[in-house]
Amino acid sequence: MNKPLLKVENLSRHFGSAQAPVRAVENVSFEIARGETLGLVGESGCGKTSLVRTLLKLGPATSGRAFLDDVDITTASGKQLHALRRKMQVVFQDPYQSLNPRMRVDRLISEPWALHPDVLPKSRWRDETVNLLESVGLRAEHAERYPSEFSGGQRQRLGIARALALNPTLLVCDEPVSALDVSVQAQVVNLLAKLRSERNLAMLFVAHDLAVVRHVSDRVMVMYLGKIIETGPKDAIFNAPAHPYTQALLSAVPTPDPKLRGSRKRIVLQGDLPSPANPPSGCRFRTRCWKATSICAEQDPRLIERTAAPGLLTACHHAD
Amino acid sequence: MALLEIKDLQVSFDTAAGRILALNGVSFSLERGEVLALLGESGSGKSVTAAAIMDLIPDPPGAINEGTIHFDGADILRLPQNERRDLCGSRIALIFQDALAALNPVYPVGWQIAEMFRIHGRTPEVGIDKAVLDLLTAVGIPDPIRRARQYPHEFSGGMRQRIMIAMAVALEPDIIIADEPTTALDVTIQAQIIDLLDRVRKRSDAGMIFITHDLGVVAELADRVAVMYAGRIVETADVFELFEDPRHPYSNGLLASQPRMDSEEAELLPIPGSAPNPAALPSGCAFRTRCPRSADICAKDVPALQSMGPGRQVACHFPVVSA
Repeated sequence: MNKPLLKVENLSRHFGSAQAPVRAVENVSFEIARGETLGLVGESGCGKTSLVRTLLKLGPATSGRAFLDDVDITTASGKQLHALRRKMQVVFQDPYQSLNPRMRVDRLISEPWALHPDVLPKSRWRDETVNLLESVGLRAEHAERYPSEFSGGQRQRLGIARALALNPTLLVCDEPVSALDVSVQAQVVNLLAKLRSERNLAMLFVAHDLAVVRHVSDRVMVMYLGKIIETGPKDAIFNAPAHPYTQALLSAVPTPDPKLRGSRKRIVLQGDLPSPANPPSGCRFRTRCWKATSICAEQDPRLIERTAAPGLLTACHHAD
Repeated sequence: MALLEIKDLQVSFDTAAGRILALNGVSFSLERGEVLALLGESGSGKSVTAAAIMDLIPDPPGAINEGTIHFDGADILRLPQNERRDLCGSRIALIFQDALAALNPVYPVGWQIAEMFRIHGRTPEVGIDKAVLDLLTAVGIPDPIRRARQYPHEFSGGMRQRIMIAMAVALEPDIIIADEPTTALDVTIQAQIIDLLDRVRKRSDAGMIFITHDLGVVAELADRVAVMYAGRIVETADVFELFEDPRHPYSNGLLASQPRMDSEEAELLPIPGSAPNPAALPSGCAFRTRCPRSADICAKDVPALQSMGPGRQVACHFPVVSA
């Protein structure tokens, strides 16, 4: 197998005091290959955003390492970090907040080139801006407008164009369609899929909408209270999940087909997510798990592959 | 006679960009025990419809210009203010999307639920505490005696929504309007709240108007669906028929653009463009600029909502007819 593009090893991110930290991300390890899309799912408070921010070096890692093309993100600074940021770009959730309202579109899109002057000579900015606008489904004349003149879906296209300006190898998409209207979401999902295959982009696709994640991802990773509890090829995750939490999560998603009403077995979890400042001992899911036994309170299950399901890694003492 | 009958409702708002019509001739009815989903995207007029029923349109800048809302034999838009107010909360109840904003942060939740009984004054004071605890138990709040004394910020999002539901059903209303009640919640919590809503509704045989943009939620609990676009209802149908055989090009496009979690599709089929600016709607049919079937007549005449078989109405000059 080729060397992975992104390699994350035992990454943790804690907040607050060292005596009683909130363990937002705890010992997370995974890889993303070149051109591959990894979907990251989990509910609010599971650590998705903290993980993404740590990978983008928008906050420090508490421990562990993360390599993008052999360069350690967690220790990079100065020039090294500047070069790293060129290779990994981000598309944010809220296109209303992530674009500077006072910048005209041509400046918004060419700003990355001003910060990385070696990427593109100034004489080519104009042409390349038009190319980018067209590749995300906008038009050349849009370059002279301001973000407020665009709809939500168009703004997200601008955000994507800007993220692609430096021709990154990894695109981190943090809930890129959840702020958009349903009829517009499909446009942006299709656009991301097109750009990914045209540019051989690797993507870390964070979303709570599981149907969208299934549509765009090659592999999927499920987080619960700061830990990866299951990960594998998307078909394995969606068709035969082995972790009780993944099973409950998938069963809770309403299917847009009234004929299936009542025919699917829905697992309704009891209670809320425990506080990450004071997670349960052993397996963090055990307080809401219908399979929990005494071993679950004693031992934290490791993320392992079982012979029954090759490729699928599950952290559970009682995996199916 | 229907439990609730809305006819030709028109609501406008005066804005800096001029007068916009948030609702433009909305008509539908709701039967006892029925769940009607109002399905639409932001700006389609779903929440304004709820606000008009609940007397929550801020006037000015808003105004109900035309139309009637018949409930229990009377047009509630023409009732004296005190009678109207008494109806809302007791016989027609509203559950908001954002429970944290809807609950008062400086009073304990038990006190706020008790206020429902005090304001509408049908339960003797001595019975109120017990009624509150019964409600908290019914909506699945563990340890209700302790929890009743806590403040909204001490509850999780799902628990706060349970408290909203307790308040809404306190006086056993005939109609429950739920405005995106699960949109702010995680899916595992959403599943709990949908189950709970279904249970409390069935208990009193109330009619429910469920406002949402989520087709999955509609498929899960609605009996009938009214699809809204740009201030109008463009299609009403039985839930099975709508998903099987959508007739309006917008409903059709909405269903085709959805990725499915239980199957794999090569490419999604999006609706082009985005919802029109309500201050500058296209002439004729508001959907025509995004519609694959539009022709000259669509720019001239607004299509009327016409019957196409039992329980099915469509507002389109060229409705989709399945093969």
